Amino acid sequence: MTGAVSGTAHAVYEQPSVALLARGLRKAYGATVALENADISLRSGVVHALLGENGAGKSTLVRILTGAVRSDSGTITLHGQPYAPATLIEARAQGVATAFQELSLVPNLTVAQNLLLPAMPRGPLGLVSSRRVIDAGAEILVRHGLERIDPSAQVGMLPLAERQRIEIVRAIENAGQMLILDEPTAALAETDWLFERIRLTTAKGVAVLYISHRLAEVREICTEATVLRNGRSIASVGLAQASDDDIFEMMVGRRVDQQARDRAAPTASADAARVSVSSLSGHGLNDISFDLRPGEILGLAALEGQGQRGLFRMLAGLEHPDKGQIAVDGTTAQLSSPRGALKAGSGIAYLPEERKTEGILAGLSAATNIILPVMPSASTAALISQQAEQSAARPAGQKVEMSPRYLGFAIGDLSGGNQQKALVARTLATGAKTLLLYDPTRGVDVGTKQSIYAAIRAFAAGGGSVLFYSSELPEVVQLADRCMVLYGGRLFRTFEGKAIAEQTLVAAMLGHGSNEGALDR
Amino acid sequence: MSATSIEAGSNSVVRNSLVKLTKGAGLIVGIYLILYALYVYQQPRALSASAIAALINNTAPLALAAMGQTLVVVSRGFDLSVAGVISLCNVVLAVYPIGGPGGALVSMLICVAIGASVGAVNGWLVAVLRMQSIAATLATMIICQGIALVILKAPGGAVSNWIADELTDRLWKTIPVSGLVVAAVVGIWLLLRRTDFGLSLYAIGADEQAAKLSGVNTTRVRFTTFVLAGAVYGLAGLMLSAQTATGNPTSGTPLLLLSFAAVALGGTSLAGGGGGLFASVMGAATLMLLQKVLFSSGVSSFYTGMFQGMTLILAVVFSGLLTRLGERK
Repeated sequence: MTGAVSGTAHAVYEQPSVALLARGLRKAYGATVALENADISLRSGVVHALLGENGAGKSTLVRILTGAVRSDSGTITLHGQPYAPATLIEARAQGVATAFQELSLVPNLTVAQNLLLPAMPRGPLGLVSSRRVIDAGAEILVRHGLERIDPSAQVGMLPLAERQRIEIVRAIENAGQMLILDEPTAALAETDWLFERIRLTTAKGVAVLYISHRLAEVREICTEATVLRNGRSIASVGLAQASDDDIFEMMVGRRVDQQARDRAAPTASADAARVSVSSLSGHGLNDISFDLRPGEILGLAALEGQGQRGLFRMLAGLEHPDKGQIAVDGTTAQLSSPRGALKAGSGIAYLPEERKTEGILAGLSAATNIILPVMPSASTAALISQQAEQSAARPAGQKVEMSPRYLGFAIGDLSGGNQQKALVARTLATGAKTLLLYDPTRGVDVGTKQSIYAAIRAFAAGGGSVLFYSSELPEVVQLADRCMVLYGGRLFRTFEGKAIAEQTLVAAMLGHGSNEGALDR
Repeated sequence: MSATSIEAGSNSVVRNSLVKLTKGAGLIVGIYLILYALYVYQQPRALSASAIAALINNTAPLALAAMGQTLVVVSRGFDLSVAGVISLCNVVLAVYPIGGPGGALVSMLICVAIGASVGAVNGWLVAVLRMQSIAATLATMIICQGIALVILKAPGGAVSNWIADELTDRLWKTIPVSGLVVAAVVGIWLLLRRTDFGLSLYAIGADEQAAKLSGVNTTRVRFTTFVLAGAVYGLAGLMLSAQTATGNPTSGTPLLLLSFAAVALGGTSLAGGGGGLFASVMGAATLMLLQKVLFSSGVSSFYTGMFQGMTLILAVVFSGLLTRLGERK
């Protein structure tokens, strides 16, 4: 368009200038090559998406750009100057800041202190003034439309979504040249606030690198994208020119079949309920009743903080309900612990929300992580060998299409997608007939998602019951036989079969529409 | 509706004060006061200035050792070198006494320098070479005790008279000097706590990775923590020498486990990221007072350890109960 051959110099002035240019980046950890040959070019004031499956090298590229690791070879320039940060502090000094997927907030400090780390405003005596810290923190929060967050609140006490917003705000505050957002919407149910912040940031000429598995989001906010596959950058494309299928093909290397699911009418509705919840209240819930039948995949859709967390934690035995009853296989159960929930009737297994803190045991092998709940059955005379562990873990691993060679690795060294597969495998390995899955595909790539969906469907087809919550509506639409919408702690509407569509779900999640369907049990 | 919100309001006030009580030194100060009342009831003379000074003199070495330990514990580490540093300072003061107030000042600087150097080695091993703190400080403790044995083979020697007399004396017949030393360190801590370093210390104790990603120079903070802790152990060695007036190559050993007990008794979580130095001072004071109370009750000193351990368990369980009460609803 702009005369790429004759007028290159001219074109530079017309287009936003190149902020960051990376060429031939390579990084190996021992024998594993995490990044083989990656090129990326970011322009000032433009949001650039980084796409790729888990293990494609996205995290490694981000770690190099943030100064967490150094590349083995390759060059990076930032506005023409060589850029090779040895530490995160150096990267920040050059105006590059990152909002990390696994959040980097210190739990025992306040919101204001976290926003201002590492240097606090001082009082007249040169000592940190707690009043000034809170004032400065409050000012930042107001600037980003988060007045509702108390700057003196301890970060560890805040809900995950608010922590993610604080993480993003802090990165924006520190990003003078380049902002890296790694899965910024993993814990956010709506994107309006985030996209508004991003637009204001790019308006100042900051280059933004946006990493997300949600293509719809990427299309909305990004103008161009770089696709990584197996540690190589496959292509840099303008998103307007590439279709979803094109992008999937570049990511996976083959066409992904977007299975529109054929919805068989729920076959199991005549059976007795496996889990029956009546008038359950407490922990954000208000008088919830529903049945979960054998062979059923029951979805739960809600904006963040509508009581879904409380519901799952009560069903998993982590919290006690204030009122109401939970019956498993027809008998009222007192679920006092996750172990108790596993042993109640045909068993309830829970996949928790936070993989890093509530899910994996990072130092142990993937196999150990999978068979943890069923250790006694895998052992002979209370002793257990590594081979026994791995062979016990293999069937569950196969159900989620986890490659057996990963079983021996420490789970902390695996990619997020494989960690999540292992955790799903763990809930399957318990032998429980009811699974509670809280956001089972949070922050995992397309391929892993399909494996997890297949495992869930196979489990339900075998007579298991699944209750899952997802922050991603397409997932609910694709997976659920029946879908409940929570709003304000109440069961607002229930949809069945073909009535489950994104538009109607969104309306119900926002509290619109009649709630006449709320009691169609 | 309004009635419930008022109720909720007063509930949260109660909760906040409970949280404060458990977070600060409130609980341990309360325990101390109760114990002290018991002591006074048994020994009315315990309220005299000389008795109080004797008690504080007794407490000072452990209180200082516990303060240094707290610094390391808050940063999520353990420092076993406390025993080695105290023994080493003690034998140096006993073998090379320097007389007069000037000599005392030099001696103090030597002790602080010994402690800070050992702390620097610890800091280098832990922060730079990424050794586990228990392993690194176990090694430096053994090395220091080895050096102490080389300097002084068997208990003996004499600490300079000025140190032995003046540092255990009372200013204007009321204020014990040892108490001033402890208070000075607490004062420095209160200032330090309100610096970027102080905040970073709690940050790396709670989540080192997050602190690093937040831009905290975790290596420097951890290194500095060990150096400061070592310097405070040096002061502990000085005060112990003033107390015993003689040298003993194993004089620091009894303080090793008691320093952890004092930290835990003060409510500082051994998992790091919380607690404070003053609470540990009160923890140390409680342990020492308990000895006195048991002695004055006619309980054989063989039982002291048993009672100290039980007090520790009760205090930690009780503070856990209070915390849980505070977090309810």
